[in-house]
Amino acid sequence: MTIASRWWRDRRAWIELYATANLTGLAVDIALAHSMNSFAARAEYIPLALSLAAPALLVPAMVLLARGRPRAWRWLGYAVGVASVAVGVAGLMLHLESRFFHDRTLISLVYAAPFAAPLAYTGLGLLLIMNRMVGADSPDWPRWVVLLALGGFVGNFVFTLTDHAQNGFFARIEWLPVFASAIAIGALTAPFVVRVRRSYYTLCLWVVAVQALVGLLGLYLHLAADFAGGGPFTLTRVIHGAPVFAPLLLPDMAVLAAIGLLELRRECSAPDPSAADRSDARHAGRPNDARAGH
Amino acid sequence: MRFASVFVAVIIATALIAAALLINSLRPAVVTSQPSAAYVRATGKCAECHSQAQYSIVHEYELSVHAQKGVNCLDCHSVATGQSGHDHFGFVTNTGVTAANCRSCHEPIYQQFLRSRHAAPAWAAVAGDAAFTQEQVAFSERYQPGGVRRPANALTLLEGASATQSGCASCHNIGRPNADGTIGTCTACHSRHTSSVALARLPTTCGQCHMGPDHSQLEIYSESKHGVMFEAQRSQLDLTAPPDSLTTRDMFVPTCATCHMSGINGLAVTHDPSDRLAYYLFAEITERRPNHDRAQAAMQAVCLNCHTQPIVDRVYHQGEQMVAATNEKVARVRDVVQALRKDGLLTGAPYSNPIDFEYFNLWHYYGRTAKHGAFMGGADYVQWHGNYPILEATVKIEDEAARMRRERDHRE
Repeated sequence: MTIASRWWRDRRAWIELYATANLTGLAVDIALAHSMNSFAARAEYIPLALSLAAPALLVPAMVLLARGRPRAWRWLGYAVGVASVAVGVAGLMLHLESRFFHDRTLISLVYAAPFAAPLAYTGLGLLLIMNRMVGADSPDWPRWVVLLALGGFVGNFVFTLTDHAQNGFFARIEWLPVFASAIAIGALTAPFVVRVRRSYYTLCLWVVAVQALVGLLGLYLHLAADFAGGGPFTLTRVIHGAPVFAPLLLPDMAVLAAIGLLELRRECSAPDPSAADRSDARHAGRPNDARAGH
Repeated sequence: MRFASVFVAVIIATALIAAALLINSLRPAVVTSQPSAAYVRATGKCAECHSQAQYSIVHEYELSVHAQKGVNCLDCHSVATGQSGHDHFGFVTNTGVTAANCRSCHEPIYQQFLRSRHAAPAWAAVAGDAAFTQEQVAFSERYQPGGVRRPANALTLLEGASATQSGCASCHNIGRPNADGTIGTCTACHSRHTSSVALARLPTTCGQCHMGPDHSQLEIYSESKHGVMFEAQRSQLDLTAPPDSLTTRDMFVPTCATCHMSGINGLAVTHDPSDRLAYYLFAEITERRPNHDRAQAAMQAVCLNCHTQPIVDRVYHQGEQMVAATNEKVARVRDVVQALRKDGLLTGAPYSNPIDFEYFNLWHYYGRTAKHGAFMGGADYVQWHGNYPILEATVKIEDEAARMRRERDHRE
């Protein structure tokens, strides 16, 4: 299969671009995050190296796919994907090892190195692997994308909960991304539990759009916190202050979820009968009850 | 849209939000109810790094009463009045904890300390009054006359800066003036991070400085019945008992702090260790302190918690006899040395002749030891570390003085 012509219409290309951009972007994030302890352990350079190496492998892989060499694309992607999964899981363990495994208390979990953060690599690795293992035309493909986005929102929920717990949710608005992530988790879980219709995917798209807005608001508030107190805006403030890039996880996950949701919505060939039900109900002169959706 | 899908979504989202709120509500108030977000972060973030870099200080803090009462790192390491701060991994902290930080919660204790010889007089004994403000000198002189308005110790110049820094200053910095305008460091006795009352009650804590030939209190205490019983029954004592409710049931064997500072059985606690001292035993010629009667009554009130009045009277009587006898012995030799100087037989700066050291040892080592030994129940220190070397030094000095006079007569 080739995606040389109109490659942008191939949904696999979007996932490849998404994963490549994220892995590359994580290089900056990791550089800042691990500067907090001046890369105290050599292992802290591993995710940085992976983030720098990933685009060097994935971009040529995409070119190879476009030139009709899917085998090379597949194996390069698998290599980066497996490495990402391994780095993410190892990062999770090492972050917990920083304190939680010693104390095994809630407070040590809150103040340990952010244990959910390395799972970003795991998620991106799984995304690359999924993009190769599941056929592009398979109806399962968008469901896998949404499932991985759901995993991302679970990570966001845990991450925002523990990160803002470090401040004791001193400003009430710090609850907003926690609530938003919880709503996203609920919204994206439902399609895996019950049958949903096209209109539900539309609702989910609105939900993830709100996530993006919450993330952008978070970016503004984190920057404002880093600027607060006067004085020059230094790199030290970025490193040790409110993490600038963290809120962008919400719009980031929103983009991934949107890719899957748009596909699922498109594939919902049957028109939403609830609209007809409502219309029928109006004609019958009775209120639209909950059973109309069943 | 199907109702079930929305229902499932709402239930899951609500459950997650409720769980998050519930877990957060179960966090101890001392962790979350803080004056600023930085103080909340300090309840756990500091330990995240320091438990790896310096595990002991975090562990010591976790053992402390400060930790039990919710005092966190930033409470002591924040910038107090007069201090300058610096960025420290997302926090603004002071560059060194001083009494300025401790007094923010313990002001009455700091005020008691300021009036003691542990404060400005301790530092002035080494470095003189140069580093103190006029207000600080005047304040301390009101309570410890002659303790601060004095020159630097001549030995510091003769022995050099490194000797002073690693030697004298290590103990005497308990009263060093700080750049923030305060005096001293509470951690000399309570230790950093441990911030322990129990530690301050240990004889070995006082003995960090109050030991050796110039003030052998730790050795004398160890020899005394008090010290022997402390060693034997230490495990049965409650060294952690709160100072304001301490009784002889907690500390039925005394340590230095029990007699000199503690508010045992309802007595007033003091952080002025000289508050119950009636004499300047450390002096060349011992005199009564200005507050002699009140101080003696206060100390005897402590003694009477365990001893009968006749025993207390006997100890004081014997101690005062020792003071008088030692004064007499020191004065006799002092007169010999002064006569040598007056007659031009002894010249030069202090500590430039062997006889200077012999006399200094006589009163500064042996005289002090004899007097302290008498009041603290250290018989061996009264005799073999006190009066015997006094006698030996007296004979040597008088013999040397006679020799110098003979030589002068021979020259003439």
